[in-house]
Amino acid sequence: MAMRVAFRCLSANFSPVLIQRCRPVQISASRLLWKANPAQSLSTASRLSTALKFTDKHEWVRVEGGIATVGISKFAQEALGDVVYCGLPEVGQKLEQMEEFGALESVKAASELYSPLTGEVTEINAELAVNPGLVNKSCYEVGWLIKMTIDNPAELDGLMDDCSYEKFIKSLDE
Amino acid sequence: MILRTFSNLCAQSQACFRSARAKSTLSAVIDETGKSGLIMKSLSTDIFENLALEDWIHDHVDLQNRNMLFLWSNAPAVVIGRHQNPWQECNLQVMRQKGIPLARRRSGGGTVFHDLGNVNLTFFTSKKNYDRHRNLQVVTSALKGLRPYMDVRATERFDILLNGQHKISGTAAKLGRTAAYHRCTLLCSADRELLSAVLKPTCQGIKSNATQSVPSPVKNLLDEDPTLDCDTIVDSVASQYNTEFGFSSPVTLVDPSDELSLPGIQRMARELLAWEWTFGRTPKFSICTTFELKNDTSICNATLNMDIKNGIIETCDIEVPSDWLPVELSREFSLHLIGT
Repeated sequence: MAMRVAFRCLSANFSPVLIQRCRPVQISASRLLWKANPAQSLSTASRLSTALKFTDKHEWVRVEGGIATVGISKFAQEALGDVVYCGLPEVGQKLEQMEEFGALESVKAASELYSPLTGEVTEINAELAVNPGLVNKSCYEVGWLIKMTIDNPAELDGLMDDCSYEKFIKSLDE
Repeated sequence: MILRTFSNLCAQSQACFRSARAKSTLSAVIDETGKSGLIMKSLSTDIFENLALEDWIHDHVDLQNRNMLFLWSNAPAVVIGRHQNPWQECNLQVMRQKGIPLARRRSGGGTVFHDLGNVNLTFFTSKKNYDRHRNLQVVTSALKGLRPYMDVRATERFDILLNGQHKISGTAAKLGRTAAYHRCTLLCSADRELLSAVLKPTCQGIKSNATQSVPSPVKNLLDEDPTLDCDTIVDSVASQYNTEFGFSSPVTLVDPSDELSLPGIQRMARELLAWEWTFGRTPKFSICTTFELKNDTSICNATLNMDIKNGIIETCDIEVPSDWLPVELSREFSLHLIGT
C-alpha cells in the first residue's frame, strides 16, 4: 500500500509521457504486494478499486489526505444506463451519512445518491455539467461526483472493501 | 370493479389500530392485508397532494415483495421533470394568466400537461422488479381489450403511440433506496388547445444543460374513439394489472390530505409547492439574447446577458444604445436585477 501511494505521488509530479512509461512499474508493484500477502485478492474489475470502500447503495469512497472522493461503482453505472444529468450538491453543504445528496438522471430513471459519510462538501466535479457521460465511461477516475471532509472516520470501517462488495453484488443476483 | 374506501379497508384489518401506534397507518394497514398486489386511487385532484402521495408511498410502504398501482388525475397543471428548466419548457405567462400551477416532480423525464382528461398510472415495485416494458404492456393490453382494432404500441423511449404517430402516453421514473416507481400518463380527453398553449416556451436565448423534453404530436384516446370514456379506460387498466401480475385487488380510494393515515404528507406537499423546489431547483443557466427597442422615430437592438443560479439572477449585463438610455442607468438597472 505504501509503495503504491509513494508511486502515485511520484507520478503526479511527472509529465504524462513519463507516466505512460511508468505504467508497467505500477503493475509490478501490485504483483509484489500480492506475493507478499496472497490472502488479499485483487479484483479484476479495476486495480484502482482495490483502494476503495463501498456502500450497499453502490457508491465508492477513496480517502486521500483526509478528503473523501465519492463516486458510483461500475455495477451502478451499468444499471443506470447513460447518464444525461448529474444533480449534485453545493460546495459547503453539510451531509449526514445516508442522507440524500443529489440524483443522477439517466434514460432509465432519476436515481438518488446517498452520502456514504458525514462531512462537508469541498468540491464537486464540474466536468459532469458538460459531460455527464463521464460517470459511465470512467466511474472510478474522472467520473467522480463529489469530494467531502470526513467528520467521523469510524464510518469508514463500516463500509465494504473490494472483496466484500464483489460478494455483495453477487448476492443481489441470487 | 369493487371500490373500497380506505376506512373500509382499515375496519377489516384487525390489527389496524394496534399497528397505528407503532408505525404509519396506511403502510401498517397494507402490511396487515398481507396482499402482494394493491391498487389505489386518489380522491384528490391537487397536483401537489398527489405528487406528495406518490413520494410518500415510495418512502413508507414496504415494496420488497409487493407491487402497487396508483391511479390519479389532476386539475390543470404543468409538471416538469426533476432536472428541467421551466423557462425552457413552458409558457409561464399564459400559465399565470390561466391560474395553471407549475409543479416539479422528483422523477426524471420531460414536461407534461395534466388535466382531468389525463390519467396518471404509477407502478410501484422493488428495484429488482422494476420493469417498464411490462407495465406498459398492462396499458396497451387493457386498451386492446376494450377496442381490439386500436393500434397502440409502446416505443423504445417508453412512450405509447397511437397509430404509430401520436403520443398518448409518456414515462417518468425514479429509483430510490430499495424501491422504484414508474409513472405513465394516458391522454383520454385532455384539453389539447390548452396543452399546446402552455407547453410552448417563449423565453429565448437560454443556454442550459438541463434535461430537455422531446416534443411529440399528441392525441386523445377519445378523439380516436368517442365511445370510450376515462372511467372505462381506468377500470380496464386496473383489471389488466390484476391479470398480468396474478392479483385480485379491488381499487381502494385514498385521501392524500389525511395526515393521520399518511404522517408527514402535508410537509411533503408543502415542499413540492415551495418556490425553492419548483423554480429554485432549476439547473444553472444563462440567457444571451437581443431584443428590439422601438419608438416612433427609431428601432435599435438591446442585448441581454444573464446567469441564473437556483432560479435567481446572479449576473446581469444589459447593453442598450446610449442614446436610448445612458450607460450609467443601464448599469444601475442591471445591478438592481441581480438577486431577483
